Amino acid sequence: MNPIQTTLPGLTLASPLVLASGILGLTASSLARVASLGAGAVTTKSFGVEPRAGHKAPSILPYEHGILNCVGLSNPGVDQMIREIWAYRARSVVPIIASVFGKTVEEFGVVTARALEAEPDMIEANVSCPNVAAEFGVPFGADFGSCAQVTGIVKKNAGRIPVAVKLTVNCPAIGRMAGVCEEHGADVITAINTIGPGMLIATDVRRPVLSNLTGGVSGPAVFPVALRAVWEVRKHTTLPIIGVGGVTTVDHAVQMLMAGATAVGIGSAVHYGGVDVFQTINEGLREFARANGLASLGAVIGTAHSEPPPRGSGA
Amino acid sequence: MMTQAVPPASGMLRMCRILEVVAHSPVLKSFLVPRLFDALPGQFVNLWLPGIDEKPFSISGIRETCMELSVKAVGPFTRRLIECAEGEWVGIRGPFGNGFPLEPGALLVGGGIGMAPIRFLAQMMAERGLPCTLVCGARTRADLIFEPELLRWGCHMSTDDGSCGTCGQVTDLLDGLMAEHPASAVCAAGPEPMLLRIMEFADRWSLPYHISFERYMKCGIGICGQCCVDGSGIRLCIEGPVLNRDQTRLVTEFGLPHRDASGLRPGTPASPLGKR
Ligand SMILES: Cc1cc2nc3c(=O)[nH]c(=O)nc-3n(C[C@H](O)[C@H](O)[C@H](O)COP(=O)(O)OP(=O)(O)OC[C@H]3O[C@@H](n4cnc5c(N)ncnc54)[C@H](O)[C@@H]3O)c2cc1C
Ligand SMILES: Cc1cc2nc3c(=O)[nH]c(=O)nc-3n(C[C@H](O)[C@H](O)[C@H](O)COP(=O)(O)O)c2cc1C
Ligand code: FES
Repeated sequence: MNPIQTTLPGLTLASPLVLASGILGLTASSLARVASLGAGAVTTKSFGVEPRAGHKAPSILPYEHGILNCVGLSNPGVDQMIREIWAYRARSVVPIIASVFGKTVEEFGVVTARALEAEPDMIEANVSCPNVAAEFGVPFGADFGSCAQVTGIVKKNAGRIPVAVKLTVNCPAIGRMAGVCEEHGADVITAINTIGPGMLIATDVRRPVLSNLTGGVSGPAVFPVALRAVWEVRKHTTLPIIGVGGVTTVDHAVQMLMAGATAVGIGSAVHYGGVDVFQTINEGLREFARANGLASLGAVIGTAHSEPPPRGSGA
Repeated sequence: MMTQAVPPASGMLRMCRILEVVAHSPVLKSFLVPRLFDALPGQFVNLWLPGIDEKPFSISGIRETCMELSVKAVGPFTRRLIECAEGEWVGIRGPFGNGFPLEPGALLVGGGIGMAPIRFLAQMMAERGLPCTLVCGARTRADLIFEPELLRWGCHMSTDDGSCGTCGQVTDLLDGLMAEHPASAVCAAGPEPMLLRIMEFADRWSLPYHISFERYMKCGIGICGQCCVDGSGIRLCIEGPVLNRDQTRLVTEFGLPHRDASGLRPGTPASPLGKR
């Protein structure tokens, strides 16, 4: 048996590593390449009903401890993404998650209904983009009522396809938010999106660098925050969790599992470890399972909540 | 259990002042900036005009203390950029991409502003004493950059209107040059229709090639997916922009309009093709 295999509702993943939304997820060819390099599932760039060019550049800016981005939900629109997902499915058997967003609750419903034409393996509702506040207002994921409404309509329109809701830590209490999503039909919680937003200033010219002035923070800097969020979500729901945020090493991935994640999102790590990062972490996870005598990594999921320390660990 | 550490980040922004501006024509200028890093010919940087935008440009030369970028005004950003004067601040991220290999005996072919990376390549090969044959094409003499330098290097030139060198397409020159003086490989940059003709030429002569392609770019660090080519899905900002035959063979989008900032290819019909 494959020791790093994991499951999400209706799906078996050969690896717990899931390509996070917005990373190499615009085209069928790019998604298929990442799938062939060891991702257990891939997530598309979030798409809406209409094409969007997003914010001007610089919209993606690495700094010493992470990456800022204000891409601004650029995407080719649902019509094109349906084609991309179909083209992807013709090339890869690795599960694909369609990430959708809407400006309104109704738009979430419309884009979900359309996305079904592509028969994705899961729909992920992105209620947590921090970069469109000027245009969209407060993210749906920051408010219990709106988050419940979006979850409800996406679940209703998704029919038999499982629904993940992607949450942000920029909300009153992410654990309770996850509970609300569960009550309204979510099958999976993805946590977290980028945090902040943050800002960087070019001192020589005394102005913020990002075109939108601010951008969500991802990468190594956010790992502890993402891990804590996954921990809280696990405390409040029994839903499977895709733990995303700052994972760049095997140890981070294991920590995510121990905090309660069933699968682990990989986004910014593609910058730090290249596209080979899926292979590298997969190998590390297999090694971890072997070294700890685990037939399946599933045995460590959530163990940081309850498990007494292993004997001989000195604790 | 601590495993691999996070490698140092790259692609970070560096600010510098423009040291010198060289006007080749009203729409073609070169900008000298401090040499912020070492780079290979074919690599590019993202240049930020504070408060305006950030766009990719090939490095067109490196000297002891400075680095050169050469720009053709084609739209809002580049028109604004060529108005920039000595002393103005710009932001630079890079170097990005793979760059050209140095192949002794190669044909180096540049078309229009595509001469920028080819000039850097010629410069580096000359410094290392590696022989090469330089070929340059432009629409008219006014579209040529580095003309005095190219003449000094014995560059073969062609213009569409015959205002400099032979009259016609740069690819028309190549068969003649090959017959005279067989080359070991072709390195090229320029407008895509020209590059596709160069690929045919290289196939005809069974020559290895290394060709620099452009696609819409955002991050430069291989995460946004904007520059991925259909077919193989490789990223031109990391695995490219210079592709060899094994890589171009897998690209299925040559000859099509490029995807724009949204990821949509202009001219794509609005409604999806439907199922299966
Ligand atoms: C790897 C690479 C190297 C380049 N090297 C040079 C160079 O040395 N000298 C030079 O003058 N130009 C170079 N370019 C092209 C240069 O980036 C575009 O001319 C510039 O971005 C145009 O912006 P604009 O606002 O002036 O024009 P627009 O009217 O916005 O666009 C004109 C053309 O440039 C393309 N373009 C616009 N934005 C981008 C972008 N973010 N990324 C890629 N293409 C874009 C458009 O698709 C269109 O074809 C290079 C491009 C790439 C990808
Ligand atoms: C450039 C970029 C674009 C992103 N686009 C999206 C998006 O469209 N939808 C979404 O839900 N998350 C998006 N994200 C957030 C990531 O999916 C992920 O939640 C976040 O980056 C934290 O994980 P990481 O540190 O592994 O990158 C984006 C992140 C980055 C860096
Ligand atoms: S420009 Fe972002 S992946 Fe190449």
